[in-house]
Amino acid sequence: MRDTSIADAADRLLEAYATGVPCAPVRDLIGTDDAYRVQRRLTDHWLAEGRRPVGRKIGLTSAAVQRQLGVDSPDFGTLWADMAVPDGAEIPAGAVLQGRAEAEVALVLERDLPHERNTAADLLRATAFALPAIEVAGSRIRDWDITLADTVADNASAGMYVLGNRPVPLSQVDLRLCGMVLERRGEQLSTGAGAACLGHPLNAALWLADTLAQAGDPLRAGDTVLTGALGPMVPILPGDVLEARVEGLGDVRVAFAKEDS
Amino acid sequence: MSDVEALACTLDEAARDVRAIPKLTDTAELDVATAYAVQRRVIERRLARHERPAGVKMGFTSKAKMVQMGVHDVIWGLLTDAMLVESHVEVDRLIHPRIEPEIAYLIGRPVRSPADVDAAVAGVAVGFEVLDSRYLDFSFTLPDVIADNASAAGYGVGAWHEPRDVSNVGMLMEIDGRVVQTGSSAAILGDPMRSLRAAARLSEQAGIVLEPGQVVLAGAATAAVPLPKGVHVRVTASGLGSVEVTT
Repeated sequence: MRDTSIADAADRLLEAYATGVPCAPVRDLIGTDDAYRVQRRLTDHWLAEGRRPVGRKIGLTSAAVQRQLGVDSPDFGTLWADMAVPDGAEIPAGAVLQGRAEAEVALVLERDLPHERNTAADLLRATAFALPAIEVAGSRIRDWDITLADTVADNASAGMYVLGNRPVPLSQVDLRLCGMVLERRGEQLSTGAGAACLGHPLNAALWLADTLAQAGDPLRAGDTVLTGALGPMVPILPGDVLEARVEGLGDVRVAFAKEDS
Repeated sequence: MSDVEALACTLDEAARDVRAIPKLTDTAELDVATAYAVQRRVIERRLARHERPAGVKMGFTSKAKMVQMGVHDVIWGLLTDAMLVESHVEVDRLIHPRIEPEIAYLIGRPVRSPADVDAAVAGVAVGFEVLDSRYLDFSFTLPDVIADNASAAGYGVGAWHEPRDVSNVGMLMEIDGRVVQTGSSAAILGDPMRSLRAAARLSEQAGIVLEPGQVVLAGAATAAVPLPKGVHVRVTASGLGSVEVTT
């Protein structure tokens, strides 16, 4: 019965991906405890399709978003190689359902993090470098009408992302105090700072490392981690070109195609 | 003219008596020009009590605030030396104080017009502003808040640093060690330097010279938060250190 519901929820989300039409929430089918099992079904489906996993995204890292959803913990989803676009490249129309953009700090790992309980020292030693990133989150759920169960099941509302091209070692940047600004043609859309992400982007990464290791699927050398938004998410429009600047990490931009081709 | 005097007296006494008043536009016609005249008169009353001009504060420097107020330009208020907070604010002397994180500029040469600005900056610092509207419920129209000296009540600044690019420095405000606001100086007109140029424009229009040693509070990086009694507040800006105050 429960397994059927989980399969039904996964099928509903896959249908939304396939048709490009957002679906009804899945919370009527599953409890919050089952949501990661739905996500796992999607992951298995995509692995079977030959997609290459390249890391994880962390969501629900801001106090405001946690309050809004009534949760006290972040969540995570899987990043796939085909979600990444180069700096400045254009995302095709319809590639992300109901896209919203946010600026983040990305970490790239050079060591596995196999332990179920990691320290800041473990994480610092495992991180090769940081990059500025724009995450284009999306929701397969109609009108972003999401609860925790909905967004977790829906791969943490992952869409696509773009990374900057200049790696910065963690010794060279203050990720707690770094300022962030996200602009569209010089018009400011969002501002923030590193501490908006769970007090420090590394706090979010530590939560992820522990959570994944406890689930038996730890972070690995080479993984990219999108640590979470530094300021409010902004809706995107066709034709937009967005630029994010993160103090100490540099800038990164992404474009959106004008209309359906 | 007597109207201006009467309105200025009402605001000045509200501040001195620590008593919120209905907004002026409830009962008086007030346009922006007259509102600035009231503001000047309020400050002149303070100067007559041996306070001295200390600079200006810029208001409505964030897009969010401009949208909220339905305005397209910044406003300013005038600072006096009595508003400078060293390390403690007596909140019992304020009506409903709020505090916000700021970027501050130190004027090194006289500024009479925007052309003077680039050569005039002697330093930049992290700061805070204590706001206290004299109006009930912190509720006002644009002319009301201008007349009320842009809700100015107090300000503090950290150590001065050499002039530098502060267009996107991260800023945190902590109360009793808990982060209550995070943001970027970019929220101040995209770059606090633009706010300083706007201050120079307003000073030219008002015929007020920004003198060496005076301070320009360029604007807030985040929304203001209520400032209760008995707390410790710290504002930190990337590369500029921090400034602290207790209540």
